[in-house]
Amino acid sequence: MSNKYLEVTNLKKSFGGLKAVDVQSLNLNRNELTSIIGPNGAGKTTFFDLISGFQDSDEGKVFLNKKNITKSQPYSIARLGMIRTFQLTKVFDRMTVLENMMFSASSINNDSFIKSLIRLPSQKTTEKNIKEKSFEIMKDLNIDHMANSYARELSGGQKKLLELGRSIVNDPSILLLDEPLAGVNPKLAEEILQIILNLSEKGISILMVEHNIEAVMKISQRVIVLAEGMVIADDIPENVRTDEKVIEAYLGSENE
Amino acid sequence: MKFTFKSSFTILLTISSIFLVFLLNEEGEIPILLNLLTFAGIYGLAAIGLNVHFGLTGLLNFGHAAFMGLGAYVTVLLIPHAAGREGVVVTTGLPFFLALLIGIISAALFGLLLGLPAIRLRGDYLAIVTIAAAEIFRLLVRDLESVTGGVYGIINFSSSLQQYRLGFIDNFASSNELNPSQIWIAFLSWTSIILVLLLLRRLTNSPWGRALRAVREDEDAVRALGKNAVWLKLQSFMLGAGIAGLSGVLLAFNYGTIQVSTFVPILTFYVWAIMILGGVGSLTGPIFGSIIFWVIISETTGIAQLIFENANGQQIAGVRFVLVGLLIMLLMIFRPSGLMGKKEELLLDVK
Amino acid sequence: MIEQLGNGLLLGIIIAVASVALSLLYGVTRIVNFAHGEIIALGAIATLFLSSPVDSRVIFLDRFSPLGNNFYISVVISVILCGLLGGILEFFLFRPLRKAEVGNIAVLVVTIGLSLFLRHIYLLFNAKPQNFPLELQRRETYLFFDMTPRNFRVLILGIFVMVLIGLFLNYTRIGKAMRAVRDSNDLASVSGINSDNIILFTWISSSMLAGLAGVFQATINDVRYNMGFLILLLIFAGTVLGGIGTSFGAMVGGFIIGIVVNVSVGLPFMEGHTEAKNAVALAIMILILLFRPQGIFGEKERVS
Repeated sequence: MSNKYLEVTNLKKSFGGLKAVDVQSLNLNRNELTSIIGPNGAGKTTFFDLISGFQDSDEGKVFLNKKNITKSQPYSIARLGMIRTFQLTKVFDRMTVLENMMFSASSINNDSFIKSLIRLPSQKTTEKNIKEKSFEIMKDLNIDHMANSYARELSGGQKKLLELGRSIVNDPSILLLDEPLAGVNPKLAEEILQIILNLSEKGISILMVEHNIEAVMKISQRVIVLAEGMVIADDIPENVRTDEKVIEAYLGSENE
Repeated sequence: MKFTFKSSFTILLTISSIFLVFLLNEEGEIPILLNLLTFAGIYGLAAIGLNVHFGLTGLLNFGHAAFMGLGAYVTVLLIPHAAGREGVVVTTGLPFFLALLIGIISAALFGLLLGLPAIRLRGDYLAIVTIAAAEIFRLLVRDLESVTGGVYGIINFSSSLQQYRLGFIDNFASSNELNPSQIWIAFLSWTSIILVLLLLRRLTNSPWGRALRAVREDEDAVRALGKNAVWLKLQSFMLGAGIAGLSGVLLAFNYGTIQVSTFVPILTFYVWAIMILGGVGSLTGPIFGSIIFWVIISETTGIAQLIFENANGQQIAGVRFVLVGLLIMLLMIFRPSGLMGKKEELLLDVK
Repeated sequence: MIEQLGNGLLLGIIIAVASVALSLLYGVTRIVNFAHGEIIALGAIATLFLSSPVDSRVIFLDRFSPLGNNFYISVVISVILCGLLGGILEFFLFRPLRKAEVGNIAVLVVTIGLSLFLRHIYLLFNAKPQNFPLELQRRETYLFFDMTPRNFRVLILGIFVMVLIGLFLNYTRIGKAMRAVRDSNDLASVSGINSDNIILFTWISSSMLAGLAGVFQATINDVRYNMGFLILLLIFAGTVLGGIGTSFGAMVGGFIIGIVVNVSVGLPFMEGHTEAKNAVALAIMILILLFRPQGIFGEKERVS
């Protein structure tokens, strides 16, 4: 059985004549920690949007675990086990941290209108369970002391942690992390990196977009470089670091 | 309801405004008060429905009158009534409470029908579409004269509900020289409010309510976490529409006639004003907002007569609407959280 | 059908001018101004008051006698008054709201309250439909259409104004600055354009245009307190159809809506239901928003 978990073929997206993404082939294996780097405007977030269903591609196919998700809705893709985060953190400001977590942990079934109206005892039990699970994860991430505060009261770094916590409470199989270290102080960045590593060791496949090259090189098993929408390198960190084309792409963008 | 400063102040203000009615009227205060409380109950219920749309889910619905109208028309058409200019009489029909149930469900289904395409639209566009849909509804109803009575409306249906009037109401009415039919409507309206609020309190504190609040916060995040934001919004739209349908039925039975001229934009604006005044997102807000609002409205007659000697009906209406418009503006500018709304929970940006 | 087409052109020019005004305002300020109808009505009501014969009691509050001025001068003055209203609204209401970073939804609700407020102030002053103090004319034939000479002149004037606006937006400095602010507020301020002034200018010019549309409408029909509100939805339809954010689109869309409303009366399924002619135009608007939200000429803007 092939190890390929995420298969992207011939994925193309243009905006008014400008090519944003043009990826011939990109395959992720299970349990890999892969990073995507590239100069600004290289199309990394658009790529994420395309594979997670938030934007429609012009051409191409995306397969998740052999299932064609090219035209699928974002929420279906998430239910298949691929959860993504966003560049600008999207915590639910006017809900408490605990509610943020429990919302994510609650299944669609549990959220049902009828169930909520009738308050079956099974729902009570489920709520209890997801509360426990939420606290577990919050403790791991060190935000459990803020459980009853509104999410908007969290610091920037804590919000990133909350968003991470929300993403993992449902045991995803693939995590798409969009700049998890953006705007975070070095100490917290270390912590987050460690958390990501732990997740990877637990068996979650991770695809991470990051600008922090050092961090990327430190923990990634594989690095993909995107420039002007195309993959110009796809290798282990050491090789990518010394790849001529990569250096040129970064230097070239610096000169603009 | 916790007794915070805010709720105590609001309750006091509401009670004071009721006293104002006694102060400003030398005689006939009790009938005026009954009338006021009846409308307050009906409109309060409508505002509760709108609050589900806007307060709980952040949907800009400016076609609320159409949901009220649909509930009313469907219910009335299913019971004995007389429609149109010649009074085409229909003598058979369903028992009232069954017709009511169908009416409420129809309103909810109308919400689904309108929502399916429209719910994906951004705030200001949804506002335009809902106004347009309500106008189309009004035009269609006005035109289908053979069914709906067109501009002549429908009459002779009240008995289907009034026959269930509880005994004590008749006694109370005769000893106080009040209209027992209206007391019955007032009673039903406020009972409905209590029941609906209990229902909503249960729902907003449930996983379902939590999901809706998340949708209000950030739809994309909701999708990225595996939930169908559109379906959730639709459910909320249907719930609010159903509640509006119920209030529409009560409105029709309060008048004893149904006229298409009742379900016009001004009705929607009244409900919005009440919701904002009471406090967007607050469960009990619409109750207080509605009572205070109707005190203001019923006393505008006095204000109108201050400005114009011998003010006629049109001038009174004009003054009334000027005040409502002013109220909406001032509230949104200076106190958008209204009486009972939480400042932290204000949703004022287009998503 | 030809007769309906003629009426359609007349309604079309009213809606086109009003739609351009609305579209300009929305483009630069991102505000959907529900009180737009009331600015339109002001153009007509002010002209009525300024030009009606002295002591002719056009205004409900019998204390006020109209001023009996020359009609055309009255039109010019009232258009300027509308501009003044727009300027006042921007300066004292919408600018403070903008500075306080009040969200779009709140501003929208404010415009709805404003619309209610203004419209019923007008009601208190002018309750019955009235006509401008102009002589009745007989219809004549222009090309295929029958209309009064005055209405024909309105049509021509309207088209002329539209062309002027197009030239203005494309070839003058202010016009280009307006388009710059519309396309991107940040870029505009970086290139030295004072967006506050542009916004004020837009409010004034949009309101003047709206007032002119009101004068057109009153010339072709009559003056009513709710004349703006009656066509507001049609104006939205015209703007949406043509393409939100493009003035040319608003013009074309406005015309099409005007024609559709009148021509739809002749459609088979509309027999006996002519009162609902607006419904067809509104249904078109809803369909456009659902399936082609950028309208005919617009660019894909985020509608959902």
